[in-house]
Amino acid sequence: MKVFLAFARQSFHSIAIYRFDFWLRVSTVLILMYSIRWVWVALYTQRPGAFGASLEQMITYGVLSMAIENLFYSFGVQYYMSQQVRSGAIDVDLLKPLDFHFHMLARNTGQMLFRLFIMILPAILCGYLFFGLRPPATPLAGFQFALALFIGYLVGFHLEFLLGSIALVTLDIHSIDWAFNALLRFFSGQLVPIWLFPGPLGTLASLLPFRALFATPLSIYTGLLNGEAIINAVGLQLFWLAALVLLSRWFWNRIQARIISQGG
Amino acid sequence: MNAFQLYFRLIHISLLSRMQYRANFLVGLLGLIVWNLVNLGLIGILVTQFTSLKDWTLWELVFLYCLWILGHSLYALFFSHTDQMETYLIEGTFDQFLLRPASPLIQVLGREFQYLEIADALFALTGLGLAYTHLGLRWDGWHWGFFVIAVMSGAVIMFALNLLIACTAFWTGRSRGAAFVAGQFYGLVQWYPIEIFGKTFRVIVTGFLPVAFINYYPSLLLLNKLDRADSAWWLSLLSPLVALLLVGIVSGVWRLALNRYSSSGS
Repeated sequence: MKVFLAFARQSFHSIAIYRFDFWLRVSTVLILMYSIRWVWVALYTQRPGAFGASLEQMITYGVLSMAIENLFYSFGVQYYMSQQVRSGAIDVDLLKPLDFHFHMLARNTGQMLFRLFIMILPAILCGYLFFGLRPPATPLAGFQFALALFIGYLVGFHLEFLLGSIALVTLDIHSIDWAFNALLRFFSGQLVPIWLFPGPLGTLASLLPFRALFATPLSIYTGLLNGEAIINAVGLQLFWLAALVLLSRWFWNRIQARIISQGG
Repeated sequence: MNAFQLYFRLIHISLLSRMQYRANFLVGLLGLIVWNLVNLGLIGILVTQFTSLKDWTLWELVFLYCLWILGHSLYALFFSHTDQMETYLIEGTFDQFLLRPASPLIQVLGREFQYLEIADALFALTGLGLAYTHLGLRWDGWHWGFFVIAVMSGAVIMFALNLLIACTAFWTGRSRGAAFVAGQFYGLVQWYPIEIFGKTFRVIVTGFLPVAFINYYPSLLLLNKLDRADSAWWLSLLSPLVALLLVGIVSGVWRLALNRYSSSGS
């Protein structure tokens, strides 16, 4: 825990320097929350209660999806790893008496905790006050949402860690990260809930790990998933988490030997 | 050498340096196309499940999106280097443009030809063509003329707005942030017909950051939607005037900015 807090403190200092960027990201989230609300209002005038969700539930889903965006998108660990390899500073990281995978997790989570308190919770509060965000369906659902969101965060982290590991071999992160973002944008259920996906696309979306990030926590929060369905969805998240942790460790151990340290 | 010749000579040089990385070029082209497909795919799923977005059907939305992309790609091909203004000002490297006996603006713009945007332009033309056939549109000569003027006006509006935003760096030292926030508005206007949003938003993107003139207002006319829209019909014809007005404003601001410039030294 101490390691996590140390990293959180560090990112607090760096944000204090880039205060301007911080305000930008906050205002961006506000604009996005505002707009998604209107999109659902416009769509629901056509078909009220479409697909078993009420307008209030859909607005909550959409506004919350924008509010929690900064939990996942942050130029995270994959950029850090590729930057360290390019500058040659990765050897310092490898010399540290700390498992590299754990080090990255601590670093990322520390920063995430910081963003949680300074950006995401205020954004959620604004959502309640101005954009029609409703409280969780039940108090229990609120708790389950928090849990699912945290697992979603960990799934997201491991996907990024894998990307970063691949970037250590290819030495280029941008095109890989770009493709990843396109997939994530499409299949995570952030902008368009995956139950709206027609036929084979819907099947594909439910088979991919991306829905663990947005779709699962948000469906729990809004009460669109109940009882056993929640247990199944969280179980699937945990399955992906376990698979990705194993894959990350295995892949990292394989390529660690191959790392090319540039200059120094 | 006149300004145009100089510009194209500079563009030629920057292209030569870029073409050294051929693999990047192909990956980049593919990337832009896939990105547009992802965006349109998401809109497409929403609209097909709900049949329409406040009277806008799938192909009308494709038209709206592609009209933006087409105007934007023309801007981005030739003028996108304005977004680097902040870097030049902070590093003090803007001096180089003032030392040479040629227009500083031409020199800045000539730095970069975003050749990847050709993918965007082709994508947009394909999308517009498909939308045209699926919607069964029958334009006469006036419509085609207006379409060409609207696209060019869109590119000019984009250029003038982004240069205006970049110019704020001459006073505040920073402009990338303002560009980033403006980018959020651009994204929304590109995706959605602005009539679905609240009044504040519509006023902003019509009067203050007039990007709705890039795709929304011309689309109303080109898609024969004028009678159904909430806005006044004459707004649809205004794109070229807005473009001219913005060019007038930005050329004044640019002159002020150059007078105001004092190097950061380094």
